Amino acid sequence: MLKKRLIFTLLYNSGSFMLSRNFRLQAVGDFDWLQRNYDFSRISNYIDELVVLDVTRKKRNLDEFCEVLKSITLNNFVPITVGGGVKDVDSARKLLRSGADKILINSGLFNKSNLARELSEEYGQQCVVGSIDLKRSKTGEFQVWSEDGGKLSEASARDLLEIVLKKSIGEIYLNSMDRDGTGQGLDLEILELLPKRVNKPIILAGGVGNSDHLMVGLKDSRIDAVATANLFNFVGDGLKKARQELVAGGIVLPMWDLEFRSMHEASSLQNSGSHE
Amino acid sequence: MINLKWCSRCLTMSARPRISFNADGLCNACVWSEEKKLLDWKAREGELITLLENHRSYEGKFDCLVPVSGGKDGSYVAYNLKHKYGMNPLCVTITPALPLPLGEENLRSFVKSGFNHISINPDHEAMRVLNRLGFIEMGFPYYGWLTSITTAPIRVALAHGISLIFYGEDGEVEYGGSTETSKKPIYDTEYQKRVYLEGGYEKVLQNSGLSKSQLYFFEYPSDEELVDTKIKLTHWSYFENWDPYRNYLVAKEHCGLREADVANSGTFTNFSQNDQALYALHTYLMYLKFGFGRANQDASIEIRRGAMNRDQAINLVNLYDGHYPEEFLEVYLNYYQMEKDEFDLVIDKYANRDLFEKLNGKWTPRFKIV
Amino acid sequence: MTVIDYGMGNIWSVTSALRYLNCKVIVSSDPLAIQKAESLILPGVGSFRKAMNALRDMNLEAPILESALVRKIKFLGICLGMQLMGIDSTEDGITKGLNLIPSKVDKFSLAEIAERKVPHIGFDQVNSDSSGNLFKGISGNQDFYFVHSYRMLPPDSQGIVSTCNYGIDFLAAYESDNLFATQFHPEKSQTNGLKLLDNFLKA
Repeated sequence: MLKKRLIFTLLYNSGSFMLSRNFRLQAVGDFDWLQRNYDFSRISNYIDELVVLDVTRKKRNLDEFCEVLKSITLNNFVPITVGGGVKDVDSARKLLRSGADKILINSGLFNKSNLARELSEEYGQQCVVGSIDLKRSKTGEFQVWSEDGGKLSEASARDLLEIVLKKSIGEIYLNSMDRDGTGQGLDLEILELLPKRVNKPIILAGGVGNSDHLMVGLKDSRIDAVATANLFNFVGDGLKKARQELVAGGIVLPMWDLEFRSMHEASSLQNSGSHE
Repeated sequence: MINLKWCSRCLTMSARPRISFNADGLCNACVWSEEKKLLDWKAREGELITLLENHRSYEGKFDCLVPVSGGKDGSYVAYNLKHKYGMNPLCVTITPALPLPLGEENLRSFVKSGFNHISINPDHEAMRVLNRLGFIEMGFPYYGWLTSITTAPIRVALAHGISLIFYGEDGEVEYGGSTETSKKPIYDTEYQKRVYLEGGYEKVLQNSGLSKSQLYFFEYPSDEELVDTKIKLTHWSYFENWDPYRNYLVAKEHCGLREADVANSGTFTNFSQNDQALYALHTYLMYLKFGFGRANQDASIEIRRGAMNRDQAINLVNLYDGHYPEEFLEVYLNYYQMEKDEFDLVIDKYANRDLFEKLNGKWTPRFKIV
Repeated sequence: MTVIDYGMGNIWSVTSALRYLNCKVIVSSDPLAIQKAESLILPGVGSFRKAMNALRDMNLEAPILESALVRKIKFLGICLGMQLMGIDSTEDGITKGLNLIPSKVDKFSLAEIAERKVPHIGFDQVNSDSSGNLFKGISGNQDFYFVHSYRMLPPDSQGIVSTCNYGIDFLAAYESDNLFATQFHPEKSQTNGLKLLDNFLKA
């Protein structure tokens, strides 16, 4: 049986990892910080997928990002989706060779480019994740924003979703800008924008603060995966505990034999002396 | 080692003054947060509307006063008074001793978003002397400012013929302490003196050696001056369910509030208390005295609003709480005109030896949050 | 271990996993290196037709076949790599594969999968045949990471077959003599995947 997925999202900005609150960024720490405070070498034991987004608002440096990506993905044997300003197939290629398994595009879905089609022709549709950022208008209807929440799309969210679902993408990552970073829980009303028959996996994000929020999302039959970028709330053993709580609460998630890794690492250390 | 305990729901500690725990181990702030869910807020709003009716000016005069700093809470209150309830608030800021650029920017944005505002700048040296005295004598590094935010708004209200002052929340009620005002909308200066200024008010002023004119904004108007104008002090948190995170969202949306780029000193949040450098020292001293600092406070708020659970909060508090504000050290030393040794000696005075021990020159907790 | 680099594949992830398992890894697109390799891994992500064209254009098809069928060295195909080992694929018209596994590559049809979504993405249970090498020590049904829209059906011939059910039982892993293949990504399947790769290295 295909399992649902628990996804952790890292927001990268020129060397720092960020916490986003309604798309406003706060710098939390660099990669050392992640390693120290997130048990990062073991993080893949607690999640089913990692998403890394380059949310740099100034000029992005792809090579630098690729280097960071390599460090992040080292010894993390879990699927990794990467995005943030991906504009062409060449950038995607660099990312895929630096540890990415799937490419996430957002603005590229809405501008005139055929980016989704080009990427899927080159790498296969399952390699492309379409990301959509949604925010309610003053009158309460959902609207779609792109370019890091800077550009509003005129068309209705419902229509846009239908169009995007027909594009050459493998899955959709729906993000609530209103709930982003608030810890107020996922906005399930977003799912009502989807057509009745959805043929692609749906990932919902925006608002997760604790495992109860994750549970609510994973229990919903319309959702295939939930994602959180809440870098503060899951610090330390937060992700480990969240996964345990989800499984205890009846969510079917893959279970891993962690002993294998610790035994392997212990024996590697013995054999090779004390180097990394 | 004293018997320490923590609230079973949030992370408030038993060492906090005026805290109490119920049979289930819940602190009074958590008990209150549960009570708030069942409270008849419609009735409370009714009381607010009646109160406002009695004060509303239809001639464009100021009918209420809101002390603001440019931060989320005052902005929220002022915004609601003006736009939701049609009042004409006069907003008043008592400029802190060491204002931070982001705080000043936020205050400008707030004013620009459409409010009448007065900035009171009490005699700088008087403020400094009182802050310094407060730091040394009471471990309250901005005692002078704390005093003036209770006294100066009253002076301003009196001068403008305003008889209603809205503070945001009563921290005692919301975050754990005396629950006196949870059922009383209107309170008075006696309560302020006793609780906010911890009864040290008269002593500090007398020992300051400052002149009457220097102390103008640090003293309450005399009883005679107040007798003709009955000034009512009240808390917005009595009339509406106080939610600091909601305040932040509204202030961000309507009053131009901007957050810091990184977490504030000693915590993981970036959207609160951005106005002055001394706050970091204040919360550090609070940490040393009682074992909980800014991160602990913020995390407990997060727990109460359902954004994280207790275990998650413990991880964050262990990571961020109790930060010695070295990034402001130069600024503090210049301000207090002290050398580092003298400064550290004052700090040492307030470290609770039951809770902390000095290891490698750093005050290290002897307790572990459970 | 030589990992074949023909421009289409998550080389980084595969080599990371191998290095983690203390395996000496060479990454190469040189036909001569392939001809001399002690063991080979063919990774792959993307279009079948592009991949076969790349293998042919880079003169890799011949040394691969020679290594697999003549020299009979250990050979593992992963994901698209496994599909390339098939007879052919109907992705963008019919393209011939390496013909190392007697099975064709076809898209998941609506009839097969009913209400399920395509691509098949996520961790899914493999009904493994542990009589072979790959699943040694990985007991019972185990979860591995799949991400594909095309699948191969279990061949009738000999060979150790492990399947996964996605409306239809499709080929999840295959073993026959020196040939090994997995539709899932062992380098993305946490500890289960690492164990499986370790088994392959020790086979």
